[in-house]
Amino acid sequence: MTVNNTIAHQRLILSGDRERFKELLRKRLIECGWRDQVRMLCRDVVKERENSDVSFDMLVNRVTPRARALVPDTVKKELLQKIKTHLLTQKDQ
Amino acid sequence: MSTIVSELSMNDLNNKFFEIMQSESNAEEAANFIYDSVFDDVTVGFLFEFHHGLKTGLSDLLEGEKEDDDVYKIVNTPECDVFGFSIMKKTPDSNCSCPNCERPVSATRFAPHLEKCMGMGRNSSRIASRRIASNSREPTSYAGLLSDDEDDADWAGGSLQSERRKRRIKNNNNRKPNKLHNGNNRNNNGNQSTDADGGATYETMTANEKKNLLLQICGVVSEHTKKLCTRSTRCPQHTEEQRRLLRNTVLEPSTPESASMTGADEAGSPPDSSPSSSCSSSSRKRDRHRPPPKMKNKRERVSPNDRD
Repeated sequence: MTVNNTIAHQRLILSGDRERFKELLRKRLIECGWRDQVRMLCRDVVKERENSDVSFDMLVNRVTPRARALVPDTVKKELLQKIKTHLLTQKDQ
Repeated sequence: MSTIVSELSMNDLNNKFFEIMQSESNAEEAANFIYDSVFDDVTVGFLFEFHHGLKTGLSDLLEGEKEDDDVYKIVNTPECDVFGFSIMKKTPDSNCSCPNCERPVSATRFAPHLEKCMGMGRNSSRIASRRIASNSREPTSYAGLLSDDEDDADWAGGSLQSERRKRRIKNNNNRKPNKLHNGNNRNNNGNQSTDADGGATYETMTANEKKNLLLQICGVVSEHTKKLCTRSTRCPQHTEEQRRLLRNTVLEPSTPESASMTGADEAGSPPDSSPSSSCSSSSRKRDRHRPPPKMKNKRERVSPNDRD
């Protein structure tokens, strides 16, 4: 349900915990070398379009799907687990 | 499900949230949704970073130019070195012909050859300019200047000085060809003082010639080429000690055997026509402090040679 998700998301933002998770994910992705892989992807895209100007939207469209696939399972699982337990433990307060 | 309106208070949101979180599947779904949203944020953050670096040229600066490996590949062919350059002998067109003597000279030796052949370069140009100057006016050598300044006896007679000048010019004209192509003059005059072991050219000179020559040049005999050093008497290549030793060995044997001749020479010429000769000038300078009579001076002139 999108509304349920939005409510949970809104609450996470309001509590400031979303920023915490974002920072954690960012840290994990750098640690596992995902950022360097994404940088290589970006470079490939730039090389493909040698002469034309590389716009940011194009970069996002080309890179994001592949970047998503590159995320290690352990990182994704860890994040999902943490968010879920966070959401569930909120209930008890 | 009711929609969230803007008036929804924090309290209502909390209530809704707890209501939703009752079921774990809802929580899991929400976690997935939140993860995607967070991941998008992070990705866009990185992409912004990269795009910024790309547009400002920052990433190029950080990463640097990719090096071409081909340039540094080691070449493994018979007649090339590892860099791929030919190790064959240089082509004969690297030989230049000297404009002066028409001889073919290797390009690497061209400048030194010109120095010798045409009198270009530092030391030889000094010699060459002296040679040119000697044809028109007084040679501007250190020796000439020094002797003029230090010799008090010469100040009296201007005619004497001019006489000396003439004599020196004559010597210069005689000497220069000997110096530049030494070895040619062997058969010119080979009668004097052959027992002097100073060198090939010294053997063939008269005592007077030797003396005059040593006033002008360093004169030390090279071990390798057996030639005289034609630089000035202060040439840095040879030490004062070498010059003194040479002057002793060259000048000494001639003094006793032709004592009368040197005496005649001295009578005709001013008492010390060799003040700048570095070996004897130092000793004679000491002598000059107490002004001796001419005869005594003459005797002392011999003595430094004997003493050493």
